[in-house]
Amino acid sequence: MDIDGVNEEENSRRVQVRFVTKLKPPMTVPPLPIAIPSNLTRLGLSTLVNNLIQNGNPDWNTQPFDFLIDGELVRMSLDKFLLAKSISAEKILEIEYIKAVAPRKEEEPSLHDDWVSSVDGSDPRFIVTGCYDSLARVWKAAGECTHILEGHSDVIASVGVINRKGVEGITVATASKDRTLRLWKFDTEDSINNPIRIRAFKILRGHTKSVQCVAAQNTGDMVCSGSWDNTIKLWQTNDSQSDGDLVSIKKRKGNDQADESQLEGEAVSTLVGHTQCVSSVVWPQQETIYSASWDHSVRLWDAETGKNSLDIFCTKVLNCLDVGGESSALIAAGGSDPILRIWDPRKPGTSAPVFQFSSHTSWISACKWHDKSWFHLVSSSYDGKVMLWDLRTAWPLAVIESHKDKVLCADWWKGDSIISGGADSKLCVSSGISVL
Amino acid sequence: MRYTGVVNSDVDDGLHNDQENQSNSSESHQGVEESDSSEDEVAPRNTVGDVPLVWYKDEEHIGYDLNGKKIKKRTRKDKVESFLESADDAKNWLKVYDEYNDEEVEVTKKELKLINRLLKGKAPHSDFDPYAPYVDWFKWDDAKHPLSNAPEPKRRFIPSKWESKKVVKLVRAIRMGLIKRDKPKEEQQFYHLWGDDSSSTEKANHLSFIPAPKSKLPGHEESYNPSLEYIPTQEEINSYQLMFEEDRPKFIPRRYTSLRSIPAYDNAVKDVFERCLDLYLCPRVRKKRINIDPESLKPKLPSRRDLKPYPVTCYLEYKGHTDAVVSISIEASGQWLASGSLDGTVRIWEVETGRCLRVWEFEEAVKFVAWNPLREIPIVAVSVGQEVFILNTGLGDEEEQKNIKELLHFETPVAPDDSGDKVSVASWHQDDKHEGIRLRHFKTVSSVEWHRKGDYFSTVMPAGESRAVLIHQLSKKHTQRIPFKLRGLPVSSVFHPTKKIFFISTKKNIRAYDLQKQKLIKKLETGLREVSSISVHPGGDNIIVGSREGKLCWFDMDLSSKPYRILKCHPKDITNVAFHRSYPLFASCSDDCTAYVFHGMVYSDLNQNPLIVPLEILRGHTSSNGRGVMDCKFHPRQPWLFTAGADSVIKLYCH
Repeated sequence: MDIDGVNEEENSRRVQVRFVTKLKPPMTVPPLPIAIPSNLTRLGLSTLVNNLIQNGNPDWNTQPFDFLIDGELVRMSLDKFLLAKSISAEKILEIEYIKAVAPRKEEEPSLHDDWVSSVDGSDPRFIVTGCYDSLARVWKAAGECTHILEGHSDVIASVGVINRKGVEGITVATASKDRTLRLWKFDTEDSINNPIRIRAFKILRGHTKSVQCVAAQNTGDMVCSGSWDNTIKLWQTNDSQSDGDLVSIKKRKGNDQADESQLEGEAVSTLVGHTQCVSSVVWPQQETIYSASWDHSVRLWDAETGKNSLDIFCTKVLNCLDVGGESSALIAAGGSDPILRIWDPRKPGTSAPVFQFSSHTSWISACKWHDKSWFHLVSSSYDGKVMLWDLRTAWPLAVIESHKDKVLCADWWKGDSIISGGADSKLCVSSGISVL
Repeated sequence: MRYTGVVNSDVDDGLHNDQENQSNSSESHQGVEESDSSEDEVAPRNTVGDVPLVWYKDEEHIGYDLNGKKIKKRTRKDKVESFLESADDAKNWLKVYDEYNDEEVEVTKKELKLINRLLKGKAPHSDFDPYAPYVDWFKWDDAKHPLSNAPEPKRRFIPSKWESKKVVKLVRAIRMGLIKRDKPKEEQQFYHLWGDDSSSTEKANHLSFIPAPKSKLPGHEESYNPSLEYIPTQEEINSYQLMFEEDRPKFIPRRYTSLRSIPAYDNAVKDVFERCLDLYLCPRVRKKRINIDPESLKPKLPSRRDLKPYPVTCYLEYKGHTDAVVSISIEASGQWLASGSLDGTVRIWEVETGRCLRVWEFEEAVKFVAWNPLREIPIVAVSVGQEVFILNTGLGDEEEQKNIKELLHFETPVAPDDSGDKVSVASWHQDDKHEGIRLRHFKTVSSVEWHRKGDYFSTVMPAGESRAVLIHQLSKKHTQRIPFKLRGLPVSSVFHPTKKIFFISTKKNIRAYDLQKQKLIKKLETGLREVSSISVHPGGDNIIVGSREGKLCWFDMDLSSKPYRILKCHPKDITNVAFHRSYPLFASCSDDCTAYVFHGMVYSDLNQNPLIVPLEILRGHTSSNGRGVMDCKFHPRQPWLFTAGADSVIKLYCH
């Protein structure tokens, strides 16, 4: 093997390694054991693998790799890693390499008029942001605003895209501090230079305090919302006027306001149990709703019966919650301290977190699992940083410092971008993250 | 008696007894026999009496009988004759010559026995038992009275006159030195100069005796001819001159060839003088050293880790004010924060994000802000100069907003139709500029406190003298003076969290008044120079008071009117103190730019006194114009502390 920079390390210890990968050709290397100096770090290993690939494929462009030994990412020099994990250096070490997960490109930030409070990128076609100027915006790409959702009278605290099967057009739910939720419909097809201002087709009233979060069922028929009045309310999203109550409300509404098309809805059911503000809800499956609250608990609800089936108590106030990871069962939550905690509710008898990530220096405002990967999640914090995490290492994979102030929200977009909004009124998009 | 006397004297003369004497004795013996009952009645033959027989030595007769006739001396037998006679007679040894009667008496067997018994020291009569069992003839049983019922004689109670006279005499003699009681102790002429004093008698006699320090014994270097290693070189001697005088060696060894050549010691007088000085001036005090582990003196406090959660780190800052923030208040649900600043603005913040929602601007510096404790009425009372504003924050839903608008609206100013006295105290006005109510006071208002039911609030005007504390009712737009006489300069007032009790703190004392009975319940004496702030425990029985000298007093109302604990933590003025509503926490903030967080557990068990543990010092604020942290308040539902600084920043410390 003729590798630059390795020959200088003649007299250092060497280990026998074999590189394996699940990546497709041409990113494979011959699975032969080779001896490499043991003081190589990730960068050294990456150049080594790139050289190996280049040997077989001369027009290969170098790209960074990450390395896994026994399911753990190498984050120090190889000999230190072996020592720390007490792995024998005598036998042939099998190192799996994967593409390094880090943003490659920082897109131009999309400017808002006020703080960006929430962002949703669950639909690959567009991004929805909620803003402190009580408007929600739809972005086709970074800097390209297509729609402005107008109608709330106070800060929008949360936005959620409702994926309704069999319905063309897009439905978006927004939760606001004016105690209402609004549902909006628009079409992405039409592309005009100026953003279109649209009004909500349905107003959901019922919360007595500011609504803090909204989440849609995966079928798109219902949304649930958490509020400062300590309740979680479930709402119907359909715009059919089948319900008698709705019609009457609509009529009365019509007398008062010019806009005839606005419906009003009432909560289908209310989940009571939290003793303080419900700060985050997720509805990953048909039946189950997860909620996080300022009363330091994460609760699991049965959406049908409204029963509370699981409590996880943390000692801190929780601000954000997401469910994902391995078989979509791990609960990630962050709150009033710099630690991102991940629980596994399938583990019986313990409420201790299975992972704790503590590289942030302030409150965690948002955390999101990658919807395809079992290992990757993104978190944002009031310290102005967005961090990309891999469960296989305790260090963040990447730290995005594009915000000047508190980051209030973050999400994945299109599977390879991280979008984040903050108190500097910017929506930042970091793209080119090759998670898979 | 006669027998014995005669027998004893004449035992040896038995040989001289003669026949005649024997016959006489038999006669007399018969006479004796007659009067056996009484021996004294037997009269002797001779009647001369008790005269020496020598008088009759040369006479023919030995005396006279009863009839006065001479009793003729018997003719003496010569020795041979009497010897033969005695040899013949076997009973001769029993015969005794009675010189008085001049006859021989034969001792009978009975008398012989008697003599033998006497010689052996026994009782003369054999039938007499000296050890016969004692028979008590007096019957003691059932005797009611003692044998003698006579009272104790008086003399037994009177001290003896003669004894006292004797004592007086002895005392006089001792005083005059005639009697010496104990010999004076001989002083030892010599003592062991270098001996160990530790076991001396003086030490045993005096507990605090400390022996004089000994001077050093001479060693080899003081010898007239010491070994070479003791002799300093010339350089060393020179170096001594450079040393400090007290460190310089007093004696420099030198060598002499002989004792003769040793000069006189030139420092002798000086050394003795210094020694005397040492003995005289050196304080010899026994140091009383007590070996106590300082750790053991500390009270046993629970570990801080067990007392979690409590605020530790600052994560959020609320920036926007341009001058010192003097007062903050948190809404009952903990979602909003109101702050008042010297820049004349009141701001409403979102606690969660640090977003400023609303700003009101006033002409003067804001002194105090207070949220209404009811969640349904999100209004803020603000004191600005002489005015108190009740502001509608616009939070809450439509129905609540409607209620608030009704509450904050009234048509005519109430002031004119009231008596003149009340007009001068406070007048209610509608304030259109700030969409609220303006209450104009006659003096500068320093603090506003709401009653827990959110209808009444009290305002304090430190310069208001007798009308310094007012209670306002929002629903009726009515103002009243407190019906108590105020003593001292009021600093602040607090409503009891559960009972109808009203606390007014003056610069020195705190008084608790019952509002219903309208009387003083308790007066708490702080002992502080100047009280700056007061906070009541949500249970209502404990009060903490912060003072301008940096002391914090904890009062337990059940215990006494004196502080239960005084905590001296802050080097500068305490600006505010606060209790947490649900967690056992309290905090104090000070001009030294720190806030202290304490664990203050109040037990429902009356036997257990409150437990106070200092937990954390919260730093982070910077000083501005000599002021540090101006206010601190706990989040109503989380163990978080908000601090307002003179550096115009509000900080949130989380657990």
